[in-house]
Amino acid sequence: MEDVLTENPPPSRFFQEDLNNFVSPSEPLPSPFILFSNPKPELPLRPSLLIVAISSPSLYVFHSLPSKSLIGSLIIPEVPFSGNTVEPSLQDKTCNIYSLTSSADDKNSILLVSVQLHVSPERSNLVSRLLIGQDIIPERVVILDSVQSRNFRGRLSPDETLAAKLETSSEKEAVTSRVNLDYFPSGSVIDGLSASLLSRCQVKNIRGTLVVSWPEFGSNVIRFVRALLKNIVPSLDVASVNKELEKCSSRKDAWTESDLYT
Amino acid sequence: MEFVVEEGKRVHEECSTLILPALSIGNVGQLAVDLLVSSTAGERVGYLDDLNLLPCVGNDAYGPLPCGDLALPLEVYESSSTAITLAQQRSPVAKGMMIKFAENIAEFAASSGKKDVIVLSSLDFQRLHNLDLSRGPQVYYLSNAESDGRDDRCERLGFGRLREYDSEGRCWKYLSSVFEENSKDELSFPSEDELEDMDYYPSLPFAALFSAFKARGLKVTCLLCYCSEGDNIPDAFLLAEAASKLMGLSPDKFHGEEGGKWRIPYSWKSMYGAPPDMSMF
Repeated sequence: MEDVLTENPPPSRFFQEDLNNFVSPSEPLPSPFILFSNPKPELPLRPSLLIVAISSPSLYVFHSLPSKSLIGSLIIPEVPFSGNTVEPSLQDKTCNIYSLTSSADDKNSILLVSVQLHVSPERSNLVSRLLIGQDIIPERVVILDSVQSRNFRGRLSPDETLAAKLETSSEKEAVTSRVNLDYFPSGSVIDGLSASLLSRCQVKNIRGTLVVSWPEFGSNVIRFVRALLKNIVPSLDVASVNKELEKCSSRKDAWTESDLYT
Repeated sequence: MEFVVEEGKRVHEECSTLILPALSIGNVGQLAVDLLVSSTAGERVGYLDDLNLLPCVGNDAYGPLPCGDLALPLEVYESSSTAITLAQQRSPVAKGMMIKFAENIAEFAASSGKKDVIVLSSLDFQRLHNLDLSRGPQVYYLSNAESDGRDDRCERLGFGRLREYDSEGRCWKYLSSVFEENSKDELSFPSEDELEDMDYYPSLPFAALFSAFKARGLKVTCLLCYCSEGDNIPDAFLLAEAASKLMGLSPDKFHGEEGGKWRIPYSWKSMYGAPPDMSMF
């Protein structure tokens, strides 16, 4: 049983510091930035599609995709590099940007972003501005995240795979290629980086879809994400995602994600 | 803070009164604005994009059936039948940035031609010193109509003046000085550790908003009620009703359910989560 003194309040309730004008702001941090690989592409990049993986199943699928080339990395200065490997690995704390097409400058290019690190809510707006609207101006954005149980007002069963979407006005009005899922139920919210990215799309009048899936881990939800991506990008080679799928049926060991063991 | 007009929409200049919530215990101000948007059939006209606001998104909060219209952290609605602009805030401000946020939203209000502002907020019931149950739930107010916070309109409506307001108090003076462009006072930022009981009221978000709007020359009235954490829907009704009285809005301006005044927002149906799983019985 959680300690009632230190237990986090329900999400609609505030911490004392949220309601205090005289709380000191957090120490300022250096701004995040994108480091592009050589040769540096001509900026801004204007991909036809930007897909952002935040959930563990989507990160697994992205990692398994062949024929993607690393074109850059979004650096968040407060996230340490220790423990990261030279070759991209699922255990790395990185935010790598890949191109699925031969040239990132191609106007039909598709970019993938693997967000393998935690982006705090306070830093999310800065990160989303980097990914959408500055160095990268996509025509369409798809964001893949998990349902946040703390913000979900319905019932979530660990045995049942479910998925829902939220989309921008311009995506709603689009005639083709929309994701065929039910809408996320009213009354529940999504926060953090995925929310910031979708908000950015709405404000910039960019076609944007946020797909949230449940549970957070497991082979069923990986299969769902794989099928979804194949539907969005029919030319995507997802055959290699089948390998070792059953090994992903359980939650990763927490210790491998701890900064203490880098 | 950038105001982005929604595609195909326009801002109506006649909607010169702005009603917005201040973050407060029980989310009462936000619930009251939900009720007002829903019941006046407010139409969303745009969004306020501010780096200091933590991100959140959701499905349409009002209905009658949610149709996938994206809800963002800070949205602007207009009700042409009532000539009111309503701003709804759905997420907190980043730690320590409330004063900056208040400054930004006051800039928006002033530059978009707003003349009157009503801030809805709640106060912690534990801070109420003189409990008088004989009059029923009491709405309190703070206005910049007079220097002591008094306002004749509010007095006639039976609202109680917030007597704890002291314009010469350390924290209230600090808030005034920080928003006044030509302030000659160089007051130090009150440290969290130095705050005393009397500093509770000026430490709250409604106080920052009040001081910011006042500094921009806008007429501002804060409507307040005391409450505890819990089912705060009745408190939301209390504040929404008070706001409608202050605006002098007749019931025919509302689009309530079954001919009544108020329409419950669709998103409230799941406010306390899913019902219990009856199959276990």
